[in-house]
Amino acid sequence: MNRVIAFCFLLLAAVLGFLYIDSRPTWAPFQSATVSVVEEDQSQTSPTKKSSSVNKLSVVHPQLDWLPDTGAASVHAASLIGLKDGSIRAFWFAGSREGAPDVVINSSVFDPKSAVWNAPTVVMDRTTAEKGLSRYIAKLGNPVPSRSADGRLQLFFVTVSIGGWAGSSISTISSDDEGATWSRPHRLITSPFTNLSTLVKSPAIQFTDGRLGLPAYHEWIGRFGEFLRVESDQVIDKRRMSSGRSAIQPILFVDNAEQATAYFRQTRSGSALKQIPVSETRNAGQAWETVGDLEVANPNSAIAALDLSNGMRLLALNNLEAGRHRLVLLMSDPSNTAKQWQVVQVLEDDEALPDEQRREFSYPYLITGDGSDAHLVYTWDRKKIRHIHFGSAWLAQLQSQLKDQKKEGGQ
Amino acid sequence: MDRLMQTIALIEMAISCAVIVICLIEKIFQVSMPLSARIILLILLGNLFFWPLGLFMELPIAAYVRGVTGDLSIVSMLLLWSALLPSNKPNPIAFKVSIAIVAVIFYPLALGLSMLDPYTWGYGSIVFLIGVLVFAVICGLANWNKGLWMIALAITAWTFHWHESTNLWDYLLDPFLGIWAIGSIVNSFRLKRRERAQSGYLFRAG
Repeated sequence: MNRVIAFCFLLLAAVLGFLYIDSRPTWAPFQSATVSVVEEDQSQTSPTKKSSSVNKLSVVHPQLDWLPDTGAASVHAASLIGLKDGSIRAFWFAGSREGAPDVVINSSVFDPKSAVWNAPTVVMDRTTAEKGLSRYIAKLGNPVPSRSADGRLQLFFVTVSIGGWAGSSISTISSDDEGATWSRPHRLITSPFTNLSTLVKSPAIQFTDGRLGLPAYHEWIGRFGEFLRVESDQVIDKRRMSSGRSAIQPILFVDNAEQATAYFRQTRSGSALKQIPVSETRNAGQAWETVGDLEVANPNSAIAALDLSNGMRLLALNNLEAGRHRLVLLMSDPSNTAKQWQVVQVLEDDEALPDEQRREFSYPYLITGDGSDAHLVYTWDRKKIRHIHFGSAWLAQLQSQLKDQKKEGGQ
Repeated sequence: MDRLMQTIALIEMAISCAVIVICLIEKIFQVSMPLSARIILLILLGNLFFWPLGLFMELPIAAYVRGVTGDLSIVSMLLLWSALLPSNKPNPIAFKVSIAIVAVIFYPLALGLSMLDPYTWGYGSIVFLIGVLVFAVICGLANWNKGLWMIALAITAWTFHWHESTNLWDYLLDPFLGIWAIGSIVNSFRLKRRERAQSGYLFRAG
């Protein structure tokens, strides 16, 4: 009799299981931004046509400032998101040192009109995280903001209960008021091994059904990228972007509704090539394949990527094989079928200094405010966060100069 | 709803911790407590693990354990809790072998060995669900109703999103279940070898 009841219950479970699977959303295409490639205006390009250097610019130079100082000895992993009123909200973690229990996630808002950052606030601290998540949390890490389909601001951040960053998992909070107040944290379950070792660093992309595609990575036994399909505060699916122990912190360029390219921070050992590993998808992230390297040096450091509305693409990275003492901005023209990247601006460079005096310029994060400009933040010697605003005119001029160079090269 | 889910998860963890302590007490002192004593001890220890004790701890002990272990799978939890029942029988070796084989193949792949990630099947693969159902039916046909119940309850819990995870694997398997299965198989072999050695010694031709 017991067995009959058990089989009946299994039948019920099976029906529930099939209904549950049937109710799950199908995989949607990427929401790709409409690219409006601006045709080359001869009259605009002529003044710089004969120039061989992309650094000789006649328009307003990028504006530099710092994120507000919280008095913390160590700051790191800044990220940005545009708010509905046109201002920019930044997040970063700060504390006595990276991984210390006193590390908190700070936030501040930048008003583009006055070019001023407001007073920083604490978005999340360790105690709030562990009370909300009902579990012990030892430390906090990388905050990555995103915008959900319902318009809420969502912040993904890393929590660690045991060990180093390898013991990380991702949690998320959301805000209905553009970051003034936040919900209780929720934990994303991404790994079957006690949910260990999944981190975020790069911005999410949107699917056409409003769900988010969040690039994440493992950093424990394996070091590889994963693409999480996120609905609200749950991972509803995921796909592997690379395997092995050589590529983390994927960043995405969406080519169209089905195609995207992921660049990784390389974590190769020994004498292996210190270049940027690349993966591609042709079915909106359902399957990824590794396609070799982008021939740009990478010293095991994070990369930032940005698509502008005119199709121009930007990368910010340390183009070194070792060290993080030089940070550069690279640009790729959409008309360049070879997708070649060119350094258009050296942002920081301590190459001339002795090793012990070189500072670290790392963890860049790029967003655009209006589709044609770019905001960059990065860690400056672990003591401060630098913010640079690249105006649309400045970027457009760089684009023109790149095209000129291409023409000159082709002749 | 989320708060309720977190509270339930903490209660589950507190009960699991209490059951482990009771089993350890019985093992260490080599006693078999009556069911009533086990239940009283379970309530006492469960409360000890569930409520914040203050002192230097901000959270209940169960929350610290949960921070390290995550939520146990439904199968692990039920197996553990059933150890307190007086009618509890040893679990079949075939079940342990199956779990061990699955764990040994599953975890390296899920942790990045190759581009194949079987963990993704747990988000909504009908083939995977059918596989799990077939395994449950085999348990039932082999007259191991406990296995049948455990898997049916795990699938039901998954459909109701009982835990934080939306992945069926997390309701069926966890590393502790895999380690238990492997350890249990190794222990069985060790005991069998010892029995064989002892019988050989006793009946050795003089």
